Amino acid sequence: MPNLPPEQDKVQVSVEGRELSSLMVTREVSRDFFAITPAYRRVLLILGVVFLAGIIAIILRFVDGFGVSERAQWGYYSAMFAFLLITAGSAPLVAVAFRLTKNHWRRPFSRISELYAVVGLLSLLWFLPLMALLPPIEGRKTLWVSSNFVGAPLWWDLFAVMFLVICGLGLLVLSAIPDAALLARTGDGGVRSRVLGAVAGFWRGTDAQWRWHRLGLTALGAFYFMLLIMVQTLINVDFVMSLVPGWKDSIMPAHQALAGLQTALGCVLVGAFILRATGRYRDLIPMESFWAISKILLALSLLWGYFWFAGLITFWYGRTPVEQNVLRTFMFESYRVPFLLNFFLSFLVPFVLLMWNPVRKSVIGPTIAGASVIVGAFFMTVRLYVPAFGIEDITSHGLATVPLPIVPDVLDVFIILGGLAGAGLIYMLAIKIIPIMSIWEIKEGLLYQRVRPLLRSRYLVLGKPD
Amino acid sequence: MHEGKVLAYKRINRDLLSGLFENQLRYWAIVMFLGLVVLVAVVAAGFMVNRGVGVTGLNRPVFWGFFITNFVFWIGISHAGVMLSAILRLSKAEWRRPATRAAEVLTIFSLMTAVLMPFIHTGRPWRLMYWVFPYDFQRGIWPDIRSPLVWDPSAVNTYLISSILFVFIALIPDLAVIRDRSSGIRRIAYSVLSLGWRGTPRQWKLQAIAGILLSALILPVFVSVHSIVSWDFGMAVSVSSWHSTIFAPYFVIGAVHSGVSGVVTVMILMRWLFRWEEYVRKEHIDALARLLIVIAIAWFYFFAMEFIFGIYGQEGDELATRTLQIFGEPWGWWFLTFIITAFFFPVPLWLFRNVRRSFLLMTITTISVNIGMWLERFLIIVPGLARKQIFTQSWHTYAPSPIEIAIVVGTFALVLMLFLLFAKVFPLIPIFDIKEGQVLKDEIKIGRRKVPAVIREE
Repeated sequence: MPNLPPEQDKVQVSVEGRELSSLMVTREVSRDFFAITPAYRRVLLILGVVFLAGIIAIILRFVDGFGVSERAQWGYYSAMFAFLLITAGSAPLVAVAFRLTKNHWRRPFSRISELYAVVGLLSLLWFLPLMALLPPIEGRKTLWVSSNFVGAPLWWDLFAVMFLVICGLGLLVLSAIPDAALLARTGDGGVRSRVLGAVAGFWRGTDAQWRWHRLGLTALGAFYFMLLIMVQTLINVDFVMSLVPGWKDSIMPAHQALAGLQTALGCVLVGAFILRATGRYRDLIPMESFWAISKILLALSLLWGYFWFAGLITFWYGRTPVEQNVLRTFMFESYRVPFLLNFFLSFLVPFVLLMWNPVRKSVIGPTIAGASVIVGAFFMTVRLYVPAFGIEDITSHGLATVPLPIVPDVLDVFIILGGLAGAGLIYMLAIKIIPIMSIWEIKEGLLYQRVRPLLRSRYLVLGKPD
Repeated sequence: MHEGKVLAYKRINRDLLSGLFENQLRYWAIVMFLGLVVLVAVVAAGFMVNRGVGVTGLNRPVFWGFFITNFVFWIGISHAGVMLSAILRLSKAEWRRPATRAAEVLTIFSLMTAVLMPFIHTGRPWRLMYWVFPYDFQRGIWPDIRSPLVWDPSAVNTYLISSILFVFIALIPDLAVIRDRSSGIRRIAYSVLSLGWRGTPRQWKLQAIAGILLSALILPVFVSVHSIVSWDFGMAVSVSSWHSTIFAPYFVIGAVHSGVSGVVTVMILMRWLFRWEEYVRKEHIDALARLLIVIAIAWFYFFAMEFIFGIYGQEGDELATRTLQIFGEPWGWWFLTFIITAFFFPVPLWLFRNVRRSFLLMTITTISVNIGMWLERFLIIVPGLARKQIFTQSWHTYAPSPIEIAIVVGTFALVLMLFLLFAKVFPLIPIFDIKEGQVLKDEIKIGRRKVPAVIREE
């Protein structure tokens, strides 16, 4: 993007915001990127300690028992993996989807969402023990048609998760190249500047480079979108549905994928809110962006309720013994509490909050709804993965009895907290390698947005390039 | 630069009201032809009522055939109205403007046609009254309100009423424009319909609020209608391939796929018939085609999920039905035609900008989608029934009779004819919406280039 002199390119991109220039954007992001404050160090320390506690809990869990026959006690561990996949795996879609639809409000959110791809590394590591916990597919229903399918399901699942992580990281790196080149030039000349220079030194910002950059982001983004939906489907069927004898639920993978999209918005909203709350980038993340994304979150929350109801009512009317037992297990008896929490937090809370325009048109309202769907998604993974891992006879014809609930013990609590802290730790480390604001996208936004008068008021004018 | 010219309001009024005040020979020729096809269908339906449903191809165990397929298809087409109008209105997509009215009107007429199909399907339509007012109290035959077949009429009628209201609210400012250009009895009629519209700020505000509220309220109705239609099938455990949890969203997204395609076809027809080149432009068709790519991919995902989980259970009767669907005679060919015309032919073509901006190719591809989507509904309904229940002992195939074909073809002519007759009385492109679009147009200068821009509505 061309850098005009600061006095020429100062524009207002929010009706209530102040004027910005590309130079101001570069300075603000660069200053924050290179600064390592005591507060940042303290957060790293806290997250590191909790993560370490989680690792110790996992080791103790290993000592307790590890294998197919002990998988019931690994239910919460598997739920944590699913939660990481659902949240961090889906989060980059916010950048991908709204870049494809050319929404200007997405610009401050893009990098916040793409950076979640680094949490994929933790998901991948978290997945490895699960490979030893999943029983063979002989004698049970499976997506893989036959138990003779080479490598099915474990190796294909591993490849799928690994490929998703690599693809997400590729997307992040590709998107960050122009910013890396810029920061290498404007930086403090330290190690990070030199590394960024080595990585993005080839970038000159020529027309051809920008064209390839845009094409790459579009192609990789679209691919990531489809890959994520496929991976979510595979994992949810192999690690949940096919462990429950007789359960055949075609909407469940789609519902999980939808929950992922919903949670992706939640992750971005919470991330953006924290940035603003810590006093940074207030002008770069205007309220209008929260307002716009909240409408999508409302729509996805309504869809969440719809998908859930579509699944429920079909089973409710089917009334076969397996369907009744599945409903009683996952919703109404054994795991009633996580189900209710899931229902309230993923559907009712965001719906009731976001149906009101004054709530949507604020920073705090969409953030609360976003936080709510993240917690709701966690309970969704708990109510699905924990009971599925707890079922003993997985090769019987149908789910004959409702299994008793598995209550988390101290180790489970530490594993969950450790997983969350690990995700936070990796993210926090990553923001000092790649800037959390997409400088080139925000600068591009300055070119395409203006606040202009119309009649007696002032409105935002949005450029619609081809 | 914006693709369309900035037009004077007088010209907009003149162009968009040309259908009402001018008589074109080709318009009447098309209406007459469509009327003839409808007449043939009416005669066929009359013959069937006189002779009984024995003249159709329906027989044990396939009691749902062309008529019910057609019912589901027209319900699907009706989803375009709300999809385009309400969702795009709420999301403030600028390119919606020339498409909304046509989509809404298509909703109304396709819904009305859909409602006709179950009546015709019964063979003795008047007997439906016995269902509402049970004739035999001693035997205790009452409608089962827990049946999705009871939810159907409620949902469809609610949708029909709310769609009519939706169209009417959006029509009011345009009705006032027609009123001001009419005389005699016509003026009186439009005066009554326009409810005293003067275009005061308060009236505009109320109209805008009503539009937004209706858009938001109609969306759940829109989703519920096709969901309930899907549950007519999905709740039946006894028919293999029907009892699937994904049916509701699968039907809804399929409906949107065929509905939006139908709107594109109709918009191109309008452009040709009324010479609205300045109003239905390449950019609009391009935007709709992009939307269709997303919808089609989402539809394909749901289709794949429905199909994969059909065979996931490895149950004998389900596998047999799927085999019949894909490889059975003659449905194997129908299945191939369906999947190619609904997805593999149009979607790859839409990826090319030149195709998206070609009126001819867009007409062909969108008609192709609807051929595919009609077949999809047929392939869901009939093969499942042909193998219904293991104890039926009479598996039988189904072939439509000429009577059924005539009636189904007649419904297509009916919808198109009603649509064109509507254009004789009301403008098919919202005049006020087009004018508003012009007010909100702007440009942003970047270097030496001017980029089209739009003032964001609050």
